Amino acid sequence: MKFLIRFISRNAAGGTEQHDRLVNAPIITMGRATDRMLHLRDRRARLEHAQLEEQNGKVHITTAALAGVEVNGRSQRDARLVVGDVVEVGSNILRVIEAPPGTDFAFTFELSAEAERDTDTPDHYAPEAKRFSLRSLSWILAAAVLLLALVVPGLGIVNPQFAAVARGSKLLPDDTWWLAGPLHTAHTAAGADCQNCHVAAFERVPDEACVDCHEVNRHVAGDTHEVLGERRCASCHLEHNEPPELVKRHQGLCADCHRNLPGDVLLENAGDFLLDHPGFKVSLLQPQVNASGETEWVLQHRLLADAQTADRSNLKFNHAAHLDEAGILAAEGRRVIDCAECHQPEPGGARMRPIRMDQNCAGCHSLNFDPDDPRRTVPHGDPDAVMQVLVEYYSARLLGDDPDAGEQRVRRPGRALTRADRDRAAAEARVQAMQVAEDLFERRVCVNCHEVTRNDDAEMPWTVLPVKLTERFFPHSNFTHAAHDTAASACDSCHDASVSESSADVLIPAIESCRDCHGSAVLRHNNASQTPSTCIMCHSFHFEAKGTYP
Amino acid sequence: MHQSILAFRKHRYLWLALLVTALCVTAYWIDDPQEPANGGTVLGYTLGTLGALLILWLAWYGVRKRRYASTAGTVQGWLSAHVYLGAALPVIVLLHSGFQFGYNVHTLAFVLMSLVVASGLFGVYVYLKYPQRLSENRGGANRSALIDELEDVDERSKRIASKLPPEFQELVSSGIGRLQLGESMWQRLRGRDLSQVLLKRGNDYAVVANPGQEAALDWLADQQAKCREPATAAVIGELSALLRNKRRLLKPLAEDLRLQALLEVWLCAHIPLTAALLAALLVHILSVFVYW
Repeated sequence: MKFLIRFISRNAAGGTEQHDRLVNAPIITMGRATDRMLHLRDRRARLEHAQLEEQNGKVHITTAALAGVEVNGRSQRDARLVVGDVVEVGSNILRVIEAPPGTDFAFTFELSAEAERDTDTPDHYAPEAKRFSLRSLSWILAAAVLLLALVVPGLGIVNPQFAAVARGSKLLPDDTWWLAGPLHTAHTAAGADCQNCHVAAFERVPDEACVDCHEVNRHVAGDTHEVLGERRCASCHLEHNEPPELVKRHQGLCADCHRNLPGDVLLENAGDFLLDHPGFKVSLLQPQVNASGETEWVLQHRLLADAQTADRSNLKFNHAAHLDEAGILAAEGRRVIDCAECHQPEPGGARMRPIRMDQNCAGCHSLNFDPDDPRRTVPHGDPDAVMQVLVEYYSARLLGDDPDAGEQRVRRPGRALTRADRDRAAAEARVQAMQVAEDLFERRVCVNCHEVTRNDDAEMPWTVLPVKLTERFFPHSNFTHAAHDTAASACDSCHDASVSESSADVLIPAIESCRDCHGSAVLRHNNASQTPSTCIMCHSFHFEAKGTYP
Repeated sequence: MHQSILAFRKHRYLWLALLVTALCVTAYWIDDPQEPANGGTVLGYTLGTLGALLILWLAWYGVRKRRYASTAGTVQGWLSAHVYLGAALPVIVLLHSGFQFGYNVHTLAFVLMSLVVASGLFGVYVYLKYPQRLSENRGGANRSALIDELEDVDERSKRIASKLPPEFQELVSSGIGRLQLGESMWQRLRGRDLSQVLLKRGNDYAVVANPGQEAALDWLADQQAKCREPATAAVIGELSALLRNKRRLLKPLAEDLRLQALLEVWLCAHIPLTAALLAALLVHILSVFVYW
């Protein structure tokens, strides 16, 4: 299509000048961009503002600008142009004129009178750089932050239903954006609803919120938790922290008081596990014989390092002999046994199961009393019952009540037992029983493990001292075998069992042994293998109201 | 005598900023809060309050520098303090946070603060470095002298073109009108010459890219070679010489615009991000206490 563009401009004298430009092109582009056919020096114009184009043989002006262009005073985005039409494109005026011969469409193009007056633009070479308005952008950014980070998550507090929607949606911001740190895994199980604990906005988490789920009698007596006084649960139990630490383990929690206790407190001072801690005391069961001759067990706290401290369980046991590398004689022959043969952890792995004769000893230590009859055993744990079993056994053999014991019958064939026969048999059975019992109690079986003494009771002339093993040597410590990876480290790295020949030895490691790995709470005092250890690692928290530790 | 804002009053605010930083670091070092260091300990709240007040005061600089009647210190002093205390802010805020970060509004505030401080420090850098480069680039002259010279060249070109056929006039007037050394700040930073020119090729006009006036000069050389009349060819040669002169003048102008854009561009980040930071600070404080 052949366009004729007639540029009209005013000269300095006030007259007009014109020059024509012939353009043979399908469209005439106009805009602020410098590559437009008609270049608009107008900052209000778009880079690609409008264009003239042929549609079905007619010329149209089209624009993508929302405001359109003014065609004969009317704003339009697509208008067919005919001779006489006047179009305002920015500050330029386009008038359609009769096309001269040889052209298809002609128009004049001039700056509007207003714009003409402003042509004296000194900033042609260095106009202000176009940029977004800093003020608008500031408002937009600030509003976006407030909306996304405060208003939308905040709506959830006002309207719990909205909170559920926001938390379920991947796009909507919710109050997890406000998390100052991750929720502890112990609490995620209770549901990730903030309001479970943060009951009211702008109020601290009340203790009631904790007590709803937790029993607090570990710290305080009874159902009340008011003894906490000014302290709150959250004074010590911190959520949303990194590293997650629900229990305050800080040294000062204990040591602030315990490093310098008042004089009337029996407890020794302790300020730091490595630097300022008394030697361990073990709780030992000690036998005491009361006025009526019975043994009573009393718990006593003895300094572990004291040479006088001995385990007085009344059991005779030689760890070294049992752990002999060459093995120990058992029913089936020599057998090498290890600690785990007898010492098995409780479920959970914290402590060891109590040792029991029937489970841990009887496998080797048979209570058989008659070599000719190896299946016969005496009961364990009751000396009177032992005697009774023996007497009954030998009576039965002599009197023929026992079908297994045939050859020593006192009854003659064809004759009933007389009273005298019976008395004689009973006396003989008792003599036999006493012989066997003496063998069991004093020489062969019981005496291997028990303290057996003679007494002047004709019926039962032996006294076996009762045995009771201490089950917890440190009842107030939080020690757990499971945490010490007993699978990886051998028992004898802490317990000197392999050289202990007496059950009086207390095979509990001294504090120095623990200090190989557990150091001071203050990092710089520790060597490379020592982990910082605060009081709470082994000790439990207590309040006065709960009672102090002995 | 010009004095750098950094050296204002013998670095008074540098020492103040160092003192504040040292005090905060020492307090953090000594403090033993019985829990992992975080914004909720006594020291955490103290540092947080200090940081928040400092942010408000730093933002107030935007107000103070517009209050020409104010006698609360000199703007130069305010700027010096703004720079040094602003640089100390990240330390205070980091200690306040106890180095705990996460995907949350609190870290958002921290990130925005970091961006504001970083853009500010970049601003300090360009303010110290680029004025020197600007004047070196202009060879001692100022920008308006450069533009006067360019306009003089344009006038002479128009006068010479009027002695030549219309396509030469189109060349000159479109070359002047379609000169574009970057309209937006971004284009200027990239130093792109987006100029175009209208050239007659055969019977038609075409709009052609004209960076460094190359297209116009090539076209003129072409026309001069084709020209049979020595007198006209001489006039075309004259026009070429003027455009070459223009090309020589445009180089420092483009560089001037680029450097000026560099001087201003950091503010485009500094100001809106400050607004976002103030909003995030409000959100940070409110959200902490909503779920106390």
